[in-house]
Amino acid sequence: MKSQRYLRQSLALFFIVSLIPALVVAAIWYVNSLTGSTPDLDFEVYVLPIMILGILPAIILSFLFAELLARPVRRIHAAVQELAKGNFKAQFQTHGAGEFAEIGLALDAVALRLQDTLSQSASEISVIESERGKLHSVLNSMTDGVFALDHAGRIILFNKAASDLTGRTIAEVAGQLAEKVMPFRSHGELVMTRWLASQYGTGHKVGDWQGLELYRADGASLYVDVQAVVLNNDPNGIAALITFHDLTKTRQLEEMKIDFVALAAHELRTPLTEIKGYLDILNTEAKGLSKSNKEFLHRTITAADQLGGLMRNLLNVSRIEHGELGFQPVLINYLEFIQDIELEMRETAIQQHRKLRLVMPNILPPVKGDASALREVMVNLVNNALAHTSPESGQVTISVEIVQNEIQTSVADNGTGIPADAIPNLFTKFYRVNEMKSSTRGTGLGLYICKSIVDAHGGHIWVESAEGKGSTFSFRIPLGTVASRHTREDNKTTTTISRGAHGWIKNHTVH
Amino acid sequence: MAGSKTILFIEDDRPIAEMYSRVLEREGYHVDFAYNGDEGLQKARAKHYDLILLDIMMPEKTGIEVLQDLRGEDGKGSPDTKIVILTNLAQNKTSQEALKSQADGYIIKADIVPSQLAGIVAKLI
Repeated sequence: MKSQRYLRQSLALFFIVSLIPALVVAAIWYVNSLTGSTPDLDFEVYVLPIMILGILPAIILSFLFAELLARPVRRIHAAVQELAKGNFKAQFQTHGAGEFAEIGLALDAVALRLQDTLSQSASEISVIESERGKLHSVLNSMTDGVFALDHAGRIILFNKAASDLTGRTIAEVAGQLAEKVMPFRSHGELVMTRWLASQYGTGHKVGDWQGLELYRADGASLYVDVQAVVLNNDPNGIAALITFHDLTKTRQLEEMKIDFVALAAHELRTPLTEIKGYLDILNTEAKGLSKSNKEFLHRTITAADQLGGLMRNLLNVSRIEHGELGFQPVLINYLEFIQDIELEMRETAIQQHRKLRLVMPNILPPVKGDASALREVMVNLVNNALAHTSPESGQVTISVEIVQNEIQTSVADNGTGIPADAIPNLFTKFYRVNEMKSSTRGTGLGLYICKSIVDAHGGHIWVESAEGKGSTFSFRIPLGTVASRHTREDNKTTTTISRGAHGWIKNHTVH
Repeated sequence: MAGSKTILFIEDDRPIAEMYSRVLEREGYHVDFAYNGDEGLQKARAKHYDLILLDIMMPEKTGIEVLQDLRGEDGKGSPDTKIVILTNLAQNKTSQEALKSQADGYIIKADIVPSQLAGIVAKLI
């Protein structure tokens, strides 16, 4: 509406200005007619200058008018350009009236809102960037490696430790399949990625793999503990998170500790060897000893044997703790094995004035296991049973039976029995029943060792006991796969190397 | 029964060597001693022995090295001599090394008494 008014006003002005030369000519003609003179309308002398005089202001006015129209447009243009450059303070038109002023005002309002929105976004972006920076710092300061995987198992996010530990550059890691970047010994990475693939979509799950050997890109290898977490519907497209912890240094220290324990054990065994050895010689050679002196000698021998047993147990715990038991399963002639144990322990039982019985079938299949380790189990169980019975009335029974595909060995006594509340802790390390009141000696390691050994054989151990009536410790282990059977008359072992209590001898059994 | 069977005892700890030999000699074996690895190697090469009892932790040459020297690279040296390690080192890795180097046995000293060793020897030779 306003623009139409402008147009009308300017057309009127232009019309008036254009009329001026005509009016001038008409006036001249009129004046001349009044004076009676012939109008001398010489075109060059009168009309042209008059017309020029008329057109000139029109042109000037047109320019002025055009300028009038263009100025606000130019201002708006310049302000828009400023806006484009990000200068939101550029003012469009804050004075005057009319259409351009209104456009200017509207554009000013737009600029103001843009400025508000953008400054708000900028502050939000800076907050986000600061958060991102923090996460980046945390992730890259971690000594544990982190890989985030998508559903295809590709690495979509990782930290510096992950690329350092795997010995790969950022470019060698980004977007790669996890199993290509972190290969483990015996293809452990495939076990891990298959597990992950099978767990997607089943909810939040955690998988643990310990002591894996990771092959680095440079050919070296590391020992790592790996934890994989499956994420449930993560909105950022992360399907799983793998973290891994470098154990190499810890493992080196552990190895040093194991070597130290082995050396210390060697040093402890040397004097024990002589004590036991010379006592044995005395026992065989000493003639004319009084009955009580002979008894003292036997007690010394028993004490030396106990010392040996304690040292073996301490060393066995150290081996169990370090996964170093190093079982070497062979087919054991179990019949012969148990007979030997009974023979060996009968000596101890007689010295302690207890009875030892053996109940066993005449035929037994071979058992796959480590004879030396299983002997530890039997010696511990029988010694415990003897220790918890009373002299003279004490009786310990070893029994063996086949139960389905397992062989069950039990050691029963008629001793003091075990309080019911102590039974759940019985197989834990260092646990001792009534520690302060106990009259029996021990480290609380024996049953822990028994359980570790039986577990390592794929078997299980348990106890049934009633206070005052006695206890029965039993363990079951799977039978060997070979169908041959051993009878009491058959004294040959099925192995070329027999592992006895004291080591091994080729083609012979150590007894 | 043991008759003229000969045993070489390579052991740096004399009381231990004497302790075992007392029982072995009582059983009728002829026992020679060597108190370090090199001396043991010399004696083993100079004369035939039915059995060599070999300690591991000895100064200069270890029992495992003596064993490897006697058995040779192909593991077939001194085929008529049984070689048994008699040690207090109970690590599996040492025991495995002895087995690989063609020892005939590996016995932990502290776990046996001399009369038990005599029993083992009787079965071996």
